[in-house]
Amino acid sequence: MDKKVKRLLHSNEPYIFLIILVFGIAVQIKSGQFFTGNNIVDLLSALIVPGLFAIGEFLALIAGGIDVSFPALASLAAYATTKLLLDMDYEGNVVAAFAIAILIGAVFGAVNGFFIGYLNLNAMIVTLGTSSIFQGIMQGTLRAQQLSAIPPGMKNFGTTAFIVAQNRQSGITSVLPYTFLILGAVFLIIAFMLRYTIFGRGIYALGGNPISAHAAGFHVKRTKFLMYIIIGVIASMSGICRVCMMQQMHPTNMLGMEMNIIAGVVLGGVALTGGAGTMIGCMLGTFLIVMVQNSMILLGIPTTWSNVFVGLVIVAGVAISAYQSNRSAKQAGRHAKEAA
Amino acid sequence: MAQSLLKAEHIKISFGNVHALTDVSLEIQPGEIHCLAGENGCGKSTLIKIISGVYQRDGGTIEFDGKQLDKITPIDSINLGIQVIYQDFSLFPNLTVAENLALNTEVASKKQLVSWKNVRKIAEEAVSRIHFDVDLDRKVESLTVAQKQMVAISRALMFNARLIIMDEPTTALTKKEVDALFQIILQLKQQGIAILFISHKLNEVFEISERFTIFRNGELVATGNTKELDDKKFTFYMTGREFADSKFTPKKLSDAPVMELKDLTLNGSFEQVSFSLRGGEILGITGLLDSGRTELALSMFGIRPADSGQIIRGGKPVRIGNPRDAIENRIGLVPEDRLSEGLFLQRSIGDNIIISEIDRLTKGKGIYDLEKRDREIERWVKELEIKTGNPDNPVTTLSGGNQQRIVLAKWLACNLDVLILNGPTVGVDIGSKHDIHTILQKLANEGLGVIIISDDLPEVIGNCSRVLVIKSGRIVAEYSSEEVDEKKIIDAMM
Amino acid sequence: MKKKVLAGLLSAGMVLSLLAGCAAAPGGAAPAPAAAEAEAPAGDDTAEAPATGGAGSIDDALKAAADAQWEIAVVPKDSTNPWFVRMKAGVDEIVEDTGVNAYQVDTGTIDATHQAQQVEDLIAQGVDAICVVPVDIESMDTVLKKAKDAGIVVVTHEGADLKNVDYDIEAFSNEGYGAFIMDNLAEAMGEEGLYTTMVASLTNGSHNEWADAGVAHQKEKYPNMTLLEENPRVESDDNGDVAYNVAKELIKTYPDLKGIMGTSSFDAPGVARAIEELGLKDKFFTSGTGMPADNAELLKSGTVKSLTLWDPAIAGKAMVAFAAKLLAGQEISEPLDLGQEGYDAMTLRDGSSTVFEGEGWVVIDADNVDSFGF
Repeated sequence: MDKKVKRLLHSNEPYIFLIILVFGIAVQIKSGQFFTGNNIVDLLSALIVPGLFAIGEFLALIAGGIDVSFPALASLAAYATTKLLLDMDYEGNVVAAFAIAILIGAVFGAVNGFFIGYLNLNAMIVTLGTSSIFQGIMQGTLRAQQLSAIPPGMKNFGTTAFIVAQNRQSGITSVLPYTFLILGAVFLIIAFMLRYTIFGRGIYALGGNPISAHAAGFHVKRTKFLMYIIIGVIASMSGICRVCMMQQMHPTNMLGMEMNIIAGVVLGGVALTGGAGTMIGCMLGTFLIVMVQNSMILLGIPTTWSNVFVGLVIVAGVAISAYQSNRSAKQAGRHAKEAA
Repeated sequence: MAQSLLKAEHIKISFGNVHALTDVSLEIQPGEIHCLAGENGCGKSTLIKIISGVYQRDGGTIEFDGKQLDKITPIDSINLGIQVIYQDFSLFPNLTVAENLALNTEVASKKQLVSWKNVRKIAEEAVSRIHFDVDLDRKVESLTVAQKQMVAISRALMFNARLIIMDEPTTALTKKEVDALFQIILQLKQQGIAILFISHKLNEVFEISERFTIFRNGELVATGNTKELDDKKFTFYMTGREFADSKFTPKKLSDAPVMELKDLTLNGSFEQVSFSLRGGEILGITGLLDSGRTELALSMFGIRPADSGQIIRGGKPVRIGNPRDAIENRIGLVPEDRLSEGLFLQRSIGDNIIISEIDRLTKGKGIYDLEKRDREIERWVKELEIKTGNPDNPVTTLSGGNQQRIVLAKWLACNLDVLILNGPTVGVDIGSKHDIHTILQKLANEGLGVIIISDDLPEVIGNCSRVLVIKSGRIVAEYSSEEVDEKKIIDAMM
Repeated sequence: MKKKVLAGLLSAGMVLSLLAGCAAAPGGAAPAPAAAEAEAPAGDDTAEAPATGGAGSIDDALKAAADAQWEIAVVPKDSTNPWFVRMKAGVDEIVEDTGVNAYQVDTGTIDATHQAQQVEDLIAQGVDAICVVPVDIESMDTVLKKAKDAGIVVVTHEGADLKNVDYDIEAFSNEGYGAFIMDNLAEAMGEEGLYTTMVASLTNGSHNEWADAGVAHQKEKYPNMTLLEENPRVESDDNGDVAYNVAKELIKTYPDLKGIMGTSSFDAPGVARAIEELGLKDKFFTSGTGMPADNAELLKSGTVKSLTLWDPAIAGKAMVAFAAKLLAGQEISEPLDLGQEGYDAMTLRDGSSTVFEGEGWVVIDADNVDSFGF
């Protein structure tokens, strides 16, 4: 038991959680609005899209890679899907939208996977390139425009409330749409995959030591290939969630999200060098960023300074987690010495 | 004699036009501890890669357990019971000990799901074979080198190993850890497993092995019982050269000390260290791995500035708060890990030589004088006999001994008064080691004050005019070169 | 706000694109007045102009242009973009009504190099006037110099910083448009209550001028409305999702807040989504720039009472009319009448001798939203 507690204290997650808590209390003191149903629901709903992206990025980072193409991939998959369903005058439910988007996402993910896995090219360069290609297809080939109406099935899915929080005084109602369940399901599936499947352990092994992973009998190339397909699928689902919730498809407004997603994942203790990090940490880090971004007004930070403030929190968060992992590495060293 | 476990005869292999192995043979008996020695580049690693199926030989025969083997693949080799433990151990630093041990088995089982219960069971079984006591849930990256090695050995044992090849397993281990490793090796021997132990450290070869084989330049030069081997023969087989045993005696001691330490303390590392160093002498400082010897070196050079006490240069206390201060006071340090700390590996040999004196290679006004630079480089390449065709090649193209000379050249170019060397010949083969010692002695005779920090006792004894022993951060003994011997030092160190 | 924090880490390379045309147009329009070269009034270099010179009416100019069949070419940013499809409709309409020889060039996708090439082609063809909505100010300016040197009349729209033009026309002054948005918001709010303003970013020139002008107009004309002093301006990043989240946060933090004045075309629609979700229809209001088709549903449902915009069709007509006036050698003076709604009493921008500003804003509401075709 004691060992478990110690190990927990050496990990990153409790500290990120603590930062979240402290920040929440600060907002609560300032505005009295943090720990309210409305606010929590608002934050969770703002977490859905970044959260899904973060899971995909998490996979890439764990395997020792990186993906900066997911916003473009998500936009393209979601745009193509929405446009197709609109042109078909599709009246059915959202399942079709997800099915089509997943298919598209898998194909584009496979493009990344092919270059990174089978041709063994640098993931950063490949995804920078494919990101431009995906945008090019969207803007050039598909001549993407904002789609202001979306198929009814998607709209229902994005607006139907899974949880409704109502503020008794003001009467305002915040809605957590069913898309939240997508985030939950993807989280659980990926967590299971990483923990309990040989494929998932292969992703960790790959990030730890690719040469040894090969020697241990993993199909390194295939693992990478499949993993980028999975990332593509998750990104495309995220794109659909975004469209459903916004009730419109805007082809460019997800672009540029990658930096903050990566920052959030790293904040959660996931190593850019690969191999180290947990799903919980990844989600907490992402939540922290979403929370900070959506609390500037509640905190009363002037708009002029809010960018600075968000940046400071990110830097401080990363610094704390770096300090923390340094400290535990040192401690581990000391324990090791004692043991020797 | 019973049938050999492994019998490789007249093995040849070439890469392009380079004959890596021209004719080597190696015979290992079941359950024996066999030492394979040779200088860097002699073909040891190449032979191992042939035996483990990484390379295919061009000629020669290999028999395992009496069976002729034509072509060996890595899988064949594992199935035969041959396991290689490389220096990097091929572990997954980010995974737990248990998973590192069980992963291969789990993957090989072709299951899709991981059973964590099973992983634990496999791991427990694996560590129990060598009575290795470790927290299976620890991540491998948090283990010491010795513990990682144990994990690697435990893992090797899981495949019904009959021959375990260890590639320089003692390089990063402390004395104590080496002893523990030798215990394990003896245990394995009792289980009937043969060990091929690769090393160029003579004392280890004598201590652990029953038989030995020595290669030089891709050829077999000697093989036989270790009992019949002695220091001189070993060195000769390794290098093809004979070295005269000589103790260093200072020829030109300065009257005043060039550097003095007064009660120098770095909290938690060493306390109240005092000594004085005169120009022309070589002072040895020795101690166990965590005795504070490395920190002392770092403090004298300003990397980890001391908390209290004084460093006195030319009679005046000086403040050494960072390496720049040290260089200004003409103190240089050749660090322990020359690869990561002492050299810019990707840069050229020439650039590495002149890096510390770069400030002086100008035409004034900060403009770099390329001609001056080339002259300096040429001078040092000649002076230190650095074997390179072209000083513009990256440092990585040089052997360990030559790399170490570059680090030396870098400092000598600065006209130092004091040169501190931390483990100057770690990972350097015998020939180069001897050459480096000769250079150091020559430098001392020219008036430089030299401090050698090392746990290589023959090195300290053979080269130093005085030896200080540091234990738990304090200087506990001082010997002159006349009175010193290994036993005295070890007694003081432990 | 989020993007910028880390954007520097990876180069701008991946934030490649802004969507073509319409989305960018309202946000990117009309930067600060340029210190344009003082130029002799146009007309001097239209030597072949007939003797209709002097201070004639716009109808005379158009008639002269129709008679002489002066060739007037309109070069849009992206002819496939609905915004410019709408502009083409305007050009076609003025051709039909007056018989002038004007047409809109088919440019294909938005591409600065391609646009410059097409203007060069027009110069080579020897057209009489070129009307341009430039993609890139700098590269277009060099090409337009050649046009002017060749004696071609040059009129631009949304290109106030161009130097080598006869005149540039802007649909409105920033002050005028800001006041106009405020009028719409005030009407929705019943001319009372607490409000704040939203811009794409605090560094966006025109948005902030609109917002400043809106606030000034409110102070002057709507005494019962008050600006939220603690947070007088928020950012939407030109992103509907950010606008939505910021609006929710504002509403939570300031229960008395009743309205948000939007500027970017993403602001009011994003705020509207928050109004819908929070159940604040008819209790919370917003107005601002918005594209008709994108917001038809919001307008019809009453979540948003009205949005504001300028009509590219009229801008197209005004450019053609202006070119005709210059070709006819008529005198150019304030107030300038181009015979188009909102472009009938144009004035020079302060400090500029080439930029004319009109009052070419339009209201979009439930009734007219379907009539724009974009």
